[in-house]
Amino acid sequence: METKIQSACETCEHFNRDGLKKLGVRTDNFDFVVALAGNPNTGKSTVFNALTGLRQHTGNWPGKTVTRAEGGFEYNTKKYKLVDLPGTYSLMSTSEDEEAARDFILFGKPDVTVIVVDANRLERNLNLVLQILEITDKAVLCLNLMDEAKRNDVEIDVRTLSRDLGIPVVPASARFNRGIPELIQTISEIASGKMVCKPHRIKSVPENIEKAVKTLTVEIEKEFPNISNSRWIAFRLLEGDKKIIEALRKGEFV
Amino acid sequence: MHTYNPISALLVFFSIGALLYFLFRPSKGWYWILKNQLTSNEKTIIEDVLKQLYHFENSNNKVDMKTLVHMLSFSNKKIVDAINIMTVNNLIYFESDILKLTEKGREYALRIVRVHRLWERYLAEKTGFHKIEWHDRAESMEHRLNHDEVEELSRHLGHPKFDPHGDPIPTKTGKMAQVKGVELPLLQVGAMGRITHIEDEPEVIYKQILAENIHIGSLIKVVENNVTRIVFLSEGEEFKLAPIVAANLTVAPLEKEILVEDNVTRLSSLTENETAKIIGISRESRGESRRRLLDLGFVKGAQVSIDLVNPLGEPNAYLIKGTSIALRNDQAAKILIKKD
Amino acid sequence: MKQNNIDHIIELSNELRWQIGDEFHDNLTESIYADAADIVKDTVRSKDSERRFRLDAKIDKIVTSKRFGFPIMFLILGTVLWLTIQGANYPSSLLANLLLDIIHPALKSGAAGLGMPWWLDGFLIDGVYLAVAWVIAVMLPPMAIFFPMFTLLEDFGYLPRVAFNLDALFNKSGAHGKQALTMSMGFGCNAAGVVATRIIDSPRERLIAILTNNFSLCNGRWPTQILIATIFIGAVVPKSLSSFVSLLAVIGVAVLGMVFMFGVSWGLSKTVLKGEVSTFNLELPPYRPPRFWKTIYTSLIDRTLIVLWRAIVFAAPAGAVIWLISNIHIGNESIAAWAIHSMDGFGFLLGLNGVILLAYIVAIPANEIVIPTILMLTVLVTGVGVGEGAGVMFELDSINATADVLKAGGWTLLTAINLMLFSLLHNPCSTTIYTIYKETNSVKWTVVASVMPVILGFIVTFLVAQLWRLMF
Ligand SMILES: Nc1nc2c(ncn2[C@@H]2O[C@H](COP(=O)(O)OP(=O)(O)OP(=O)(O)O)[C@@H](O)[C@H]2O)c(=O)[nH]1
Ligand SMILES: [Mg+2]
Repeated sequence: METKIQSACETCEHFNRDGLKKLGVRTDNFDFVVALAGNPNTGKSTVFNALTGLRQHTGNWPGKTVTRAEGGFEYNTKKYKLVDLPGTYSLMSTSEDEEAARDFILFGKPDVTVIVVDANRLERNLNLVLQILEITDKAVLCLNLMDEAKRNDVEIDVRTLSRDLGIPVVPASARFNRGIPELIQTISEIASGKMVCKPHRIKSVPENIEKAVKTLTVEIEKEFPNISNSRWIAFRLLEGDKKIIEALRKGEFV
Repeated sequence: MHTYNPISALLVFFSIGALLYFLFRPSKGWYWILKNQLTSNEKTIIEDVLKQLYHFENSNNKVDMKTLVHMLSFSNKKIVDAINIMTVNNLIYFESDILKLTEKGREYALRIVRVHRLWERYLAEKTGFHKIEWHDRAESMEHRLNHDEVEELSRHLGHPKFDPHGDPIPTKTGKMAQVKGVELPLLQVGAMGRITHIEDEPEVIYKQILAENIHIGSLIKVVENNVTRIVFLSEGEEFKLAPIVAANLTVAPLEKEILVEDNVTRLSSLTENETAKIIGISRESRGESRRRLLDLGFVKGAQVSIDLVNPLGEPNAYLIKGTSIALRNDQAAKILIKKD
Repeated sequence: MKQNNIDHIIELSNELRWQIGDEFHDNLTESIYADAADIVKDTVRSKDSERRFRLDAKIDKIVTSKRFGFPIMFLILGTVLWLTIQGANYPSSLLANLLLDIIHPALKSGAAGLGMPWWLDGFLIDGVYLAVAWVIAVMLPPMAIFFPMFTLLEDFGYLPRVAFNLDALFNKSGAHGKQALTMSMGFGCNAAGVVATRIIDSPRERLIAILTNNFSLCNGRWPTQILIATIFIGAVVPKSLSSFVSLLAVIGVAVLGMVFMFGVSWGLSKTVLKGEVSTFNLELPPYRPPRFWKTIYTSLIDRTLIVLWRAIVFAAPAGAVIWLISNIHIGNESIAAWAIHSMDGFGFLLGLNGVILLAYIVAIPANEIVIPTILMLTVLVTGVGVGEGAGVMFELDSINATADVLKAGGWTLLTAINLMLFSLLHNPCSTTIYTIYKETNSVKWTVVASVMPVILGFIVTFLVAQLWRLMF
């Protein structure tokens, strides 16, 4: 690995600056799909712009992005298609405005999901993070807005967080391009399979629900032995999610 | 332009306006009345008769022609015609004066009941109609849906087993779940339970229950029970009902003793500088709006306080899990809290 | 076989769902939050955990206070509008000068030099080019001022506070507080306002906001209002008061628009939209210092592109039509003159005239060209001495000259007032109609949104005209 020390990136010795090319809207022939998910107003579109060089609308207003946007970048000769999703509070509701994000994370089968969270409001953001981790095990947490967290005297133990969640955590300030190189490097390692995550699974589920979920997961896994998110499907079936039921019928999970 | 003068122009204008008003004003407009009359055809009458008979037979009451005519708001002749058709089609038969459902008639009636209750459920979960309107809307919808539409509806709702009053919804094959529980007056003082059913007939009593903050699925605790009244606690409020009203509530006693918080109030009663812990969300809030509140972090155990008071009184902004979220008062009134 | 197993799984889940009961969603959300709290306990240290961050709280206390909340809001909106209207004047006339007075004659002489037939050069240069030029000259400067300012406010985080302050008013008419913002966006451009309704996440309130956005006077209509008010309303009062009174009249029309917005919202929520799901929640984000130059740059680029696109797609065909109807003759009358004469009667009933109605029909694509079209058509039918020929839109440099043309067309104070009302209450421009269709995906709502305001406009102008004639 050629390591040029760049001023913007002194801390991350692995990042290969020359290997990065922002591709803008060109997303043909990509090798990997990367999704950007997270609560509203956490800086997803800002991260997206930093990675692709595009000018997606950003704004200090929850719900700024309403349809998904695509862009691309190339890193170490691999091409990535990046998908900016509207912010959501949860993947479990059925409201239409959250549909785009929900469907893409579940059915778009991204190779890596970048979960952008607000470091100042970690607890509330974890609601969505934990749900996404039930669905996919190829995820990275982008702990955005670190500059504000610092100003507000919020300190986060990144290593413990990463251990608890079972996925890599990258602190960042997307607006000032801080943490972006590390994020790219981490994305590439997860995409290529160099880094393997072991994500957190929701624990404190009441007994009666856990029992029902177990019964269902067993049945689902019997039918689809290679499925990794049978528990999530069980959750959704118990909720009566029409989309999931249809997808199951059509075998879209295999 | 010879005949023009402003007064006659205005007169023409206002008469057209008045005409349109009388034609199309909500529910009483001539257009609607006419349309109703045209659509309340044979099918509707037959289905209404079947449903009445079904309900009467279920409560072990007997019906003759006279009561039937009395019950339904169609003309005598239309009902008699319908009854004739129904006997010919083997949906009902007479036992001396008494009208009875045949097996086939019963099946048909169950189908109507199924549509009615499914539609009420749909109105409750997926629309913004007030609960007072559910029944009437379902009443007209039950004649309109065909078989496939009903199945689609049921799937859309996740094959529910109960309607929003707690009445069981018959399945496709006519099976029905049992309502768990006993009538409220049968509970002892100190007993706890969950409301599983609210009877919607007779209407006078039902309206009285609707006026109170009593909701299906909420926990109650009986604190007084005698011949004059029954007093119970639910979602932090005390309710006093006459036994005859209370008998319209079915309550499933709790098997396990669970801790019921006392001093429960509503988020809407929180004032500035107070903090509180969230106990839960009232059962009144259902469907999408309930889910949204939960997603926003209004979950049991969360700490909440007022962040900003609105200059117009509403909505206030609440600080919940580090973020300021504004809710209107009617929403805040559905969040149960205990002040610190 | 496989399908059977899947059906079995689904049956099983239906069964289990009812065993668990209604509490499932609640319980699951609670468990997720419980896990989240556990993780946070280990990893986050914050000195100031529960209280919101201090500076934010201070700003909020002021901008939402009983005493200052509303004055600050009106001050900001007023400043934005004033800067837009005043600031746009100079670049607008510069652009008009360039596009209309320099490039247009140059094109004409160029075409003459090439020996183009008169109809081709008329159609292309007087029709298509002029309409495009008008739209750009009238629309680009205010948009380029209004939207960056709006974006700056948005980036700072002030806009959600406006929704917060005003929600109670909107709630009363069945609408959402965020409609305050889509309405203000509408002061810039109704199409942009309609797109902005996406921030309203409750379906019913969003539809209300879409259907009533047209009641915000957009940038394309402000100039009309100001011009007519200055000529006719300012003229009835003493000279010293005239600019103040005409300003007041314009503001009055804008306020009337808001009244209609509230009224129609109320009516819609009580009738056709009754029963649509309605939810409310409003997250107040932290304040963030906006990045001034970047914001200005991006919103400038965006707006310029939008205006150019709009001018080409919608205004160009309108220009073509205007030129054609004034130059194609049936018998010895042009189509335009014929249409004007046949609509004169109806126009009279509304206190307007055939010219105005025709102008509004051909200017559906872009409200900006209403005034030039009216002037051109008036000259066409009255034959007063100014103007540049049939189908050539123009505007006059001096207000007096404009007044002369209009008065020659038979305009009175009533015509002026009703024109101002009709400019507020008529169908949205075609860009907006198209946007409404894209956003609602429904022909029905698009039709309602387009037809309802015209009907209101007819009714209001009709009533005003009759009462006026009774009184004076
Ligand atoms: N101070 C600071 N501000 C940031 C940072 N990242 C983003 N922002 C700002 O946060 C606001 C929200 O950013 P967006 O990128 O629009 O957020 P989003 O997640 O795409 O939001 P939605 O599309 O509404 O879901 C904008 O005003 C950004 O300028 C950061 O690292 N530091
Ligand atoms: Mg975004």
